[in-house]
Amino acid sequence: MGCAPFGLRRQPAAPLGLGAENREAPALSGDGRLLASLVERGGRTTVLLQDRRSGQVLPLRHLRGRQPHSSPSLSWTGRYLALLVQQGPHRLAVLEDRASGRLLPLQLPAGREPQRLSLAPDGRRLAVELLENGQRRVELFDLGGQLEPDLAPGLRQSGGGPGVAP
Amino acid sequence: MSTAPVRRLAGASTLLGLGLLLGGCLGSALRPLPGINQRLGQLGSSQAPALSGGWLALIAGNQGRAQVQLLNLERGLPVPLPGLNRPDSQPVSVAVDQQGERLVVVRQREGRTELVLHRRSLMASQTLPIEPAGVPRGVSLSADGRLLAVEVSRGGIWQVDLLELP
Repeated sequence: MGCAPFGLRRQPAAPLGLGAENREAPALSGDGRLLASLVERGGRTTVLLQDRRSGQVLPLRHLRGRQPHSSPSLSWTGRYLALLVQQGPHRLAVLEDRASGRLLPLQLPAGREPQRLSLAPDGRRLAVELLENGQRRVELFDLGGQLEPDLAPGLRQSGGGPGVAP
Repeated sequence: MSTAPVRRLAGASTLLGLGLLLGGCLGSALRPLPGINQRLGQLGSSQAPALSGGWLALIAGNQGRAQVQLLNLERGLPVPLPGLNRPDSQPVSVAVDQQGERLVVVRQREGRTELVLHRRSLMASQTLPIEPAGVPRGVSLSADGRLLAVEVSRGGIWQVDLLELP
């Protein structure tokens, strides 16, 4: 890792292999250990999940064949990966739970195309940029009833939100 | 005749198909958070959401008048960001840490695209150098605000830089 002004420490993301390759839409897990990004695989934009330090690629079970992927977003430990996938002519929001192996379709309001996602690190909320009649609008959705929280170590499971007073 | 019911039916069919393909694990419709969504609607056009802790950062307003906004989700209110938004700049993307203290913004100003770290308690922004030179676009912050992933275009190739922030 190299040094830079302002006390920054800088490094390229862990390498993908030989040669120059596009890598886009980085998303860190809340704890900073995992990095999701978009790369080209077989001519299709595909999400890649890696351990940030070692570069080890972590398996994703359900996303093959649903490219192009876009807008990956990770929870605190990277247990949950939310992203947009292609299903026929539609862009759909889905969430892979790496702990249980489930893929959860995130059913958004009809008639509006999701453009970008942001998953709260604890997995309790999802922010979605939706496009309707040419207008972009961010809306917030509750995932609390659908997912176990993905909390930082030491935080209580109930009664305290994310454990940080805003 | 309105096409809305047809669109709704098509969307429902797509989700049903995806659910069946995924082994019957069809998710239920996401529950919108009406209070905060009403507030978001008052911002007009909005895009590029970033959730962390009890905070939602986004870019709101029309082209040419867009600004970074930071909403306290517990109170449902935007908080002031003195020293961040400038009349001569156009934000492109934003990320926030879980304390709502650090925001990282990519913005266009005076014909250049710059990467900026804003500390809310100091009401101060500093430009983060891109080295080697490149054009930043997307950003992601770890929850503690110490690790930044930034998407940078260099020579026609998109790369991901990781920066440890002081």
